[in-house]
Amino acid sequence: MKRRGRGIACMWYPIGFTVSANPSAATVKVNEDGTATVLTGTVETGQGSLTVLAQIAAEALGIATDDVHVVSADTDATPMDTGAIASRTTYVTGNAIFLAAEAAKAILFEAAAPMLGVKVSQLEAKDRKIQVKSYPQRNASIADVALRSQTVLGQPAIGSASWNPPTVAMDPETGQGKPFATYVYATQIAEVDVDDETGEVELLRIAAAHDCGTAINPMLVEGQVEGGISMGVGMALQEEMLFDANGRHINPNLTNYIMPTSLDMPEITVDIVQGFDSTGPFGAKGVGEPTAVPTSAAILNAIHDAVGVRIYSLPATAEKVLAAIKAKRATGQKQIPA
Amino acid sequence: MNEHSRILEREKIEIETLRDAELRLPAVAPREPFPIEPVTPDARQQTRAVGQRATRPDGRLHGLGQTKYIDDLSFPGMLYARIKRAGIASARIKRIDTSAAEAMPGVMAVLTGKEIPVNSFGPSFQDQPVLVDEFVFHAGDGVAAVAAVTEQIANEALDKIIIEYEPLPAVLDPVAAMRDDSPKVHAPNSNIYATKVIRKGDVEKGFAESDHIFEGRYSTQMIEHVSLEPHAAVADWDANGRLTIYATIGRITLARSDMARTLKMPMSRIRIVGTIVGGNFGGKNEITQEPALALLSKKTGRPVKGVFTRGEEFTSTTTRHPIIMDYKTGVSKTGRIIARQIRLVLDGGAYCSWSETTLGKACILSPGPYKIDNVLAEAFVVYTNKTMTGAMRGFGAPQVCFAYESQMDEIAAKLGMDPLEIRLLNAFDEGSPSPTGQVLHSVVVKESLRKAADRFGWEPRP
Amino acid sequence: MTDVTMTVNGQMRSASVPPETTLLQLLRDQFHLTGAKLGCDVGDCGACTVIVDGQAVNSCLMLAGQADGREIVTIEGLASRDRLHAIQQCFENSGALQCGFCGPGVLMSAKALLDDNLNPTRQEIRDALSGNLCRCTGYTKMIEAVEDAARMLRDGTPAKLTQARTEVPVP
Repeated sequence: MKRRGRGIACMWYPIGFTVSANPSAATVKVNEDGTATVLTGTVETGQGSLTVLAQIAAEALGIATDDVHVVSADTDATPMDTGAIASRTTYVTGNAIFLAAEAAKAILFEAAAPMLGVKVSQLEAKDRKIQVKSYPQRNASIADVALRSQTVLGQPAIGSASWNPPTVAMDPETGQGKPFATYVYATQIAEVDVDDETGEVELLRIAAAHDCGTAINPMLVEGQVEGGISMGVGMALQEEMLFDANGRHINPNLTNYIMPTSLDMPEITVDIVQGFDSTGPFGAKGVGEPTAVPTSAAILNAIHDAVGVRIYSLPATAEKVLAAIKAKRATGQKQIPA
Repeated sequence: MNEHSRILEREKIEIETLRDAELRLPAVAPREPFPIEPVTPDARQQTRAVGQRATRPDGRLHGLGQTKYIDDLSFPGMLYARIKRAGIASARIKRIDTSAAEAMPGVMAVLTGKEIPVNSFGPSFQDQPVLVDEFVFHAGDGVAAVAAVTEQIANEALDKIIIEYEPLPAVLDPVAAMRDDSPKVHAPNSNIYATKVIRKGDVEKGFAESDHIFEGRYSTQMIEHVSLEPHAAVADWDANGRLTIYATIGRITLARSDMARTLKMPMSRIRIVGTIVGGNFGGKNEITQEPALALLSKKTGRPVKGVFTRGEEFTSTTTRHPIIMDYKTGVSKTGRIIARQIRLVLDGGAYCSWSETTLGKACILSPGPYKIDNVLAEAFVVYTNKTMTGAMRGFGAPQVCFAYESQMDEIAAKLGMDPLEIRLLNAFDEGSPSPTGQVLHSVVVKESLRKAADRFGWEPRP
Repeated sequence: MTDVTMTVNGQMRSASVPPETTLLQLLRDQFHLTGAKLGCDVGDCGACTVIVDGQAVNSCLMLAGQADGREIVTIEGLASRDRLHAIQQCFENSGALQCGFCGPGVLMSAKALLDDNLNPTRQEIRDALSGNLCRCTGYTKMIEAVEDAARMLRDGTPAKLTQARTEVPVP
């Protein structure tokens, strides 16, 4: 018989390395036609970081995402980056790119100020224009300013910067310190059906509410949540690398290492929790790893809610769940008074 | 005719048939036409870029099958490398005989650990060899590498490499490995290779003040990243002694530094190029076969490509730390957490890799996103003769979350409280101190609880 | 050596290869169609999925010789010179691919489904993709994209484009 259950899990997760320096450096070049090229040493590993970084550069320069081309992942041509790890790319590389864009923009403002007859501090970049704050009618296109800066004034609009999250080393005896510059928070709630005759767990739905600071690209944030949940599902119910008594691998293959397929995934709703972190680029933090954190707990709590058994070791395979159900039944029977 | 000549005769025939096949191929492969540029989606055209659901230009290439991953790259004269795996968890290597492999037609070079200038690397401790040369530390260790004109010949050459092992005692259980009488994985060092402590307030006093104490042990398993793209790299040199590596590595700055160390070369002579990596999740954050490929390429004067098999992805790349977690929590009768004591034992595999980072994060996060005045968290990472454990999405956070959120529900059940309510009661607020005394900002854990509950339709039960 | 001739994406192609060559190796190494990927080489992951005579198959499990005389469609054959295929358009619009490695295989499984059934239920879509492992996406947006592509092919309506926001509040 199928029994339904629900389970909650919430979590917190840091952005960046634990205490140690993990800088990112970046260069932003505004081309003579007002489009831009970004150089970053990070590597696109599938999460869409290059698109997010382009959006950050575009926002800073007042141009469109499609006007920005990102060059990455070449130690000869791109500046150092600590890498796509620890959910740090949007926050750390993003901040570096933001600062580099500001530096390139400062060169443009220097060229534009006399063109528009105002001081540099009166300028802003918006809608592919350099314009006067509160008086946008006085403006020049970014293309005209960039061309003039480079070919008339001899000042190409190139900005470079690096950024590292500020931390405080942890005391070796007490661990007290500031190991990370910022954290993100999330909750996932799972609903399951557990078959109490086979121990099989069917995932019905998961409601996920994730904080990432400002969501630079909500579509990509959703993708991270959905993907992270699939890893959480595998960790909760299926995956395990097994070794024999001699330390040899028993299942080094995808036939016997079970991981989620399209048939194993529940319906997922993703809510991005409204947040803004002033230490991040346009208020953004990060989201890559947190999405895989609370899933197992939510599912295991739901299993307990469904059939009253608590599994203390992952994965909660059907065998384990069934054995626990049977054990509980046996204890229950023993307690029936004579 | 002796056995050796018989082998050579048979190989000769196979090589000849291969050459015939090459002659019959068209000189230039015809190329599939690609579509002219379709319309750019609106979201990418907006000058307020932040917050847009912008599509990915690399996503378009993925859908067309045009993205070039490492294994899609091909260079003239390229050779194929394979690595022989130990297949034994702990051993001393008595003898490696590569002569039969070297003599095989089509095999252009063989490499062993002794030829690597500095045979050790690692982001915290440099305890991982590129190819083992004296001792084997886990069954997936690489013992020798070959480069051949085809992958099939490289595979066959592996079988011809003779290695004599003296098996040594192996320790597979991290708790057993902590004992003084356990075999030492990296003798003479202790198997406990890093520890972390977080101490805040006074847990004993906190337990004394608690109305209820909950204790439990939670444990998690070893997990593999299973990126769909296996680890792959191509190594090539130019006539100025400059090395280029195309690799599936998410951290090319670190990779260059590791290559400079293992090959004893200046960084200015090394170029690391990443392409779009087909999945990382932490498993492609350090070098694996790259120094071996570089040396094979140097020996042969030809580019060398190495692609891990799916099996090697399991046996010979980093995995997620299994953790044994003991939690003791004291709460008031209203469900407020007063004290929490935690002990974590991480299975640290054969090499440190990213274990120090995982240890630190797991320890810091282990009390959960809750306001707790009295915390004692102690964490240990221990060597075992199993696949090295390293960085994997979450660095210990999914494991400890399983523990602290399971226990939270146990507490709620015992006290007759709604699981949502007990979390809202204890969760961080803006400005709350973390277990390490950090004042937290931009805290939205309660908002996330309420939002998820609202979306789910979580109603308290009568 | 085995001589093979087949139609690949509408074009006659031939090669002469050792008999143990798989269709996947033939496509990638001989025909330089690197869209189909090597993920496991034993038919567990589906990254090598192509369409052979209308059916989605794991090309790593088929010998080149077995594909002789057949009609093969690979990812490279979906788009035409002037437009993306509906499935490609929908996958791009919904951000359904992340690292993209499983993508060609998934799209071919989706194509095989839609060639057969232009009104699939979500369960039917899940079933069609069940042989394609993906580690990045959780399959969620893929299923939405296939639904959208089915609608697009049925009704001739354009792919759902996510609405661009003209003003984005940044506090």
